[in-house]
Amino acid sequence: MREANVMLLAKSCLLLLLALVAPGVLFAEETVCIQCHGGQPGRLGEPVNLWRQSVHAVNGISCHSCHGGDPTDFANAMSPARGFIGVPKGEAIPDFCGRCHVGVREDYLQSAHGEALGLGGPQCVTCHGNHAVRLATPDLINPQDCTRCHDYGRADEIKSAVVETDRMIADLEHSLEALHRVGIATKEMRGELFSLRNDFHRLFHSVDVEKVRSQTADYQQKLGKIRNRGAAIEEELARRKLWGGVVVALLVLGGILAMLLHKAYLDEERR
Amino acid sequence: MENDRIPPERRRFFLIIMLSGIGAVLAAAASWPVWQYLAPRKGVGEKEKVTIPRDQVPLGGTHFFTFRGHPAVVLQEKAGVFIALTAVCTHLGCIIKWLPEKGEFECPCHAGSFSPTGTVLGGPPPKPLESYPVSVQDDSIVIG
Repeated sequence: MREANVMLLAKSCLLLLLALVAPGVLFAEETVCIQCHGGQPGRLGEPVNLWRQSVHAVNGISCHSCHGGDPTDFANAMSPARGFIGVPKGEAIPDFCGRCHVGVREDYLQSAHGEALGLGGPQCVTCHGNHAVRLATPDLINPQDCTRCHDYGRADEIKSAVVETDRMIADLEHSLEALHRVGIATKEMRGELFSLRNDFHRLFHSVDVEKVRSQTADYQQKLGKIRNRGAAIEEELARRKLWGGVVVALLVLGGILAMLLHKAYLDEERR
Repeated sequence: MENDRIPPERRRFFLIIMLSGIGAVLAAAASWPVWQYLAPRKGVGEKEKVTIPRDQVPLGGTHFFTFRGHPAVVLQEKAGVFIALTAVCTHLGCIIKWLPEKGEFECPCHAGSFSPTGTVLGGPPPKPLESYPVSVQDDSIVIG
């Protein structure tokens, strides 16, 4: 009886420890899709491992967010009646991804890439991959990938046109993140930056060099405004540090003077 | 000794003056942030109103403008019925757009959709769009 109680206590402690140190793991195991497919070898289990490294996993977008179905019911998880869509065919992929990425889909469909859909042209996963999809950067435009279908020259022109603005966006994201870490409310600025980043990345999908070049200056100006606001906050923080130092120095000096004053009173009493 | 030539009262007076000066500076330094927090903000006030000519908002259409420094939109849902909302999606901050054929606002970033009054119809937005008071005065729409 006593042993059973000790075992129960040990199990409870273990569960509590797991809940404290690995909330992500517990969350990830929540859906029946992951519980079932995560343990399977080969083709059926591989998507789960790839997805774990993805930007979707980081943002809580799980299997059912794209493939539909019921993530809480083993028996009906893949039932079309519960909204299961399954795997889209190549030509259907832009519509599949475009349910969430509506803006990108719109620009892509109007581009030379979109016009070649179904005629051997690329769709979303050709460049971004599927389950291991990462945050998009200009590195996706590279000779190895682009020359699978066509000459690299035009792609290189687009990359050159976007790389500087994209670097500005990445730098701003880092500086706003740093400000957020020290307790500055940056939600609004981060929202504006996210919106600009999304619009700018939509522009890539037009694969139109002239369009990208003509709009880049406008994006850089808008990014400059956010950067100036961030810089003003950084200046304010530097000023606060300086004045904080002055206050500390004055407190130390005040302490020394108070000590001397105390000594002066003692000297007077002794006389 | 050099110190012994200074009378103790003078030394004490000097130290008190110095200490009072430092105390005053420290008190001012402590009061400054409190004053900044309590003082009315300069520039754009909460009472700011925006006036838009009525003919800029067609029936079933929208007009985007800046309200108190933020993107906003006014919609003429029915004849003479105007609704003003923030144009910033509550998910990640993208600017929404109006889809007249669907009669909904849609966020182009992750497909969040909102009704003409700003309630969430679908997608990831966690809360509705903030609405602003609207009144019609002659040929103008006043927001705020």
